[in-house]
Amino acid sequence: MSELASPVTTAEASPAPDGVADPRLREPAHHVAPEAIRYWAVKSLIGAVVQWLVVTGVYVFVIPDDWKIWAGPIAVTLVAISVVELAVVPQWRYRVHRWEVTDTAVYTRSGWLNREQRIAPLSRVQTVDSTRGPLMRAFHLASITVTTASAAGPITIDCLNFDVARRVVADLTEITGRTEGDAT
Amino acid sequence: MSEWPRSQPDEAPPAHEPHMPPPSGQAYDLPPPPVEAINEWQRLTPRNLLLYPVRTLGQLLVPLAIAFFGFGRDDSGSFMLGPETFVVIAAVAGALGVIPWLTTYYRLTETQIQVRRGLLNRKLLTAPLGRVRSVDLESKLMHRVLRLSKVSIGTGVDSTKIDLDALSVDQAGQLYDYLMARKRQLSDAGSSSDSTSTAGEQAGSSRQAGTAPVDDADAPDVELARIDWSWLRYAPFSLASLVVVAGIGAVAGQFMGEIDVTVQASSAQELYDWFTGQALLILALLTAVAVLIGWLLLSTLTYIISWWNLRLTRMGEGTLRLKRGLLTTNSTSVEEAKIRGVSMTEPALLRLVKGAELFTLSTGVGDGGQTKVLPPCPRAVAVRVGHEVLEEQGALTISLRRHGPAARRRCYIRGFWATLVPTVGIIVPTWWFDWPWWVPLLVFAVWLAGSLPLAEMEYRTLGHGQTQACVVSRHGALGRSREVLERAGVIGWVIQQSFFQRRVRLATLVATTAAGSESVSIRDIPLDDAVALAASTTPEAVGEFLDEGVRSRSRTTDASPIPHGG
Repeated sequence: MSELASPVTTAEASPAPDGVADPRLREPAHHVAPEAIRYWAVKSLIGAVVQWLVVTGVYVFVIPDDWKIWAGPIAVTLVAISVVELAVVPQWRYRVHRWEVTDTAVYTRSGWLNREQRIAPLSRVQTVDSTRGPLMRAFHLASITVTTASAAGPITIDCLNFDVARRVVADLTEITGRTEGDAT
Repeated sequence: MSEWPRSQPDEAPPAHEPHMPPPSGQAYDLPPPPVEAINEWQRLTPRNLLLYPVRTLGQLLVPLAIAFFGFGRDDSGSFMLGPETFVVIAAVAGALGVIPWLTTYYRLTETQIQVRRGLLNRKLLTAPLGRVRSVDLESKLMHRVLRLSKVSIGTGVDSTKIDLDALSVDQAGQLYDYLMARKRQLSDAGSSSDSTSTAGEQAGSSRQAGTAPVDDADAPDVELARIDWSWLRYAPFSLASLVVVAGIGAVAGQFMGEIDVTVQASSAQELYDWFTGQALLILALLTAVAVLIGWLLLSTLTYIISWWNLRLTRMGEGTLRLKRGLLTTNSTSVEEAKIRGVSMTEPALLRLVKGAELFTLSTGVGDGGQTKVLPPCPRAVAVRVGHEVLEEQGALTISLRRHGPAARRRCYIRGFWATLVPTVGIIVPTWWFDWPWWVPLLVFAVWLAGSLPLAEMEYRTLGHGQTQACVVSRHGALGRSREVLERAGVIGWVIQQSFFQRRVRLATLVATTAAGSESVSIRDIPLDDAVALAASTTPEAVGEFLDEGVRSRSRTTDASPIPHGG
C-alpha cells in the first residue's frame, strides 16, 4: 500500500489516472436559519452578563486597593474580550455552520475556531430527535440530533428554522424507516 | 401474569418434535433441544441450593464481622451478640439464598428464550433466538466443584446480558448448542429479507454473505489458536502485573524503612559505618531481587490461571469461541458477523521482546465491546490469528502511511508543552524556598531530553492505511496499538480540526462504529488523506459530498510508507 488510493474505487471517488487527485469535501449545501445569529448572540450575552457581574464584583469587593493598578487592566481586558466575542462569534459561527441531508447521508459542519465535520450514512441512523429550548422557541428555531449505534457518532444540526426542522425530521424518519436490520 | 403458564418442571414434558419447524433448506441434524424440552418453564438446577446460601453468606461475612466486633462486649464482658444470634442470621441467609432458585424460571420457545425472575418485582426477560449475538459460559471455583455453569446471553447492541446462574454443565452445554443452531437457522431464514447491505457492507462482508446454510452447514470447527506454553516467557512483560508488583514493592519498601539499621557507637565506629553502608546496599539489592522474583512468579501465575487451556475456535455455525481458565473457566462465543475488527496492542515492555496481545472489536457483547482473545504472545501469532479472524491477509502487516512533517512538528510541540508544565511547576518552589537558579533549568533539560525521543517515536508510530475490507490506524509512542476496523463496521465519520490543525491542514479523523470502544481515531492525518480515506472506505456516504471540481497538487509531503512491519 504505497498509495493511499484504495484498490476499492468507486464512480464518485475515482482518482485521476496518475492518482494525483485529492478529493476534497465540499461545503454542506445549506446555512442554518439566519435567526441563529441573534439566538447565539442572546445566549452568549446571558453568559457574558454573568461574567461581567462577577468580574466587577471581584474587582470592587475582593481585590485590595493596592492591587488595582494591575487588576484594573485585566478586568477591562476580560470584559473587552467578551464584548468582541459577542460581536464576532455569532456571525462567524453562522458562516461555518452548514448542513445537508441527502437520500443516503447526513453531513454537517460546525464550530468557529475549532471545526468539526460529521457524516453519517442514513442506513446506519437509529434515532432522529429534535429539541427546542425555551430560548430557541423565541427565535422559532429547533435542533435535530441524529444518532447512530456509536456513542461517538451523534450528529447535531443546530438551529434550523422550526418548519424546516420539522420537514427534515419527517424526511429522515421516512428514509431511515426503510432500512431494516440493527444498523450496527 | 396469567400469560405465563406456571407449569412446574416435574410435569410431563411434551414431546418436542411437534414444536420444531419442519427442516428447511439443506438437510442437517438439528441438535436436540435441552432435555426438558420446549415451551416449558423450568427452574435452574437444584444444585444451586448449595451454591446460593454459601454465596449469600459470603456477601454477609463482612457486615457480620463488623456487627460482631462493632458491638463488642457489654459491661459483663460477654459478647452482646451471642453465637446463637449468628446461627440465626446464618440460617436466615441460607433461607434467603434459596429464594432466587425458587423464583427464577427460564424456558425456550421456538423463537425466544425467556427468563422470569423476582419475588415481589417480577421481571420477564425475552430474547429472540435469531438475535443472540454471544453466549458466554463461566464457571467459578464453586461452580466447578458443583459442576455448574453460568450462562450469559448477549443480544443486539444492548450491552446488558441475560444471565442464567447457574445451569448444570450438561444443561449449559445443551443450551449452548441449541442456541447456536437455532440462531443460525433463524438468521438464515431472515437473511433473504435483510436489506441492510449498503455498498460498503457488501464490499466488507463477503463473509456475511458466506454464511448461507449451504456453505456453512457442514463447515468443520477450525481451531485458530491454542495456548502454547512457550508464550509464558511473555508473561512478565505485561504491564498489568508490573502495577501489582510495584504495589508489592511499595509495601516491601515500607518494611525496609522500618528495619533498624543503626548500629550503636563503639570503638570500631568506622568499621560499623562501613558495615552499615554495606548492609543497606545488600538490603536494597535483596529487595530488588525479591521484587523481581515476585514479579516473575506473580505474572506467570496470573497468566497460567487465566489462560490455561486457551482455545480459540471458529465454530461451524459462524461464531468464534474462546475457552480458557484454570480455576474459573470461561467460554465466550461471539457471532462472527458482529466482529467488526481487531486491535493488536504492543505495550511498551512487551514490544521490546516482540510480543503482542490481540483483541476483537465486536458489537453486542458488552464489556466495552473488546474481547481479549490472545494473551501476551509472539507478535507473529497475534498477526496470524488476527488475520484469520478478519478473514483477510495484510491488515496487521501492511506498511502504513505516515502523516508528514506537519504531524511530526505537532508531536514535538506537544512534547515541548509537556516539558513546560513540570518546569513551571518547579519554578514556584524554587522561588519560594530559594533553591539554586539552575534547578528549573535542569528539570527542563532532563525532561526535554526525555520527551524529544518520545515525540519522534510517537510520530513514527502514527499512521493509517487501508486494505480491501478494512481501515487501519496505528498510534502510541513507547507501546503501540494497531486498530483494524472493517469497512462494514464504519457507521459514520467525524473530521475534527482544531485551530492549529487547520493552519497546517491536518485533521483528526474519527471513524465511528458500534463495535469496541465505539470509535477509531486517526490523529493529525493530513486533511486530504482523511477525506480520501473516508471516501474510499464508505463511498456511499461520503462520495456525494466530494468536490469534484478541485484537483489539488500531488502530494508533496514526505508521507512515505513506513518500512514493513509494525
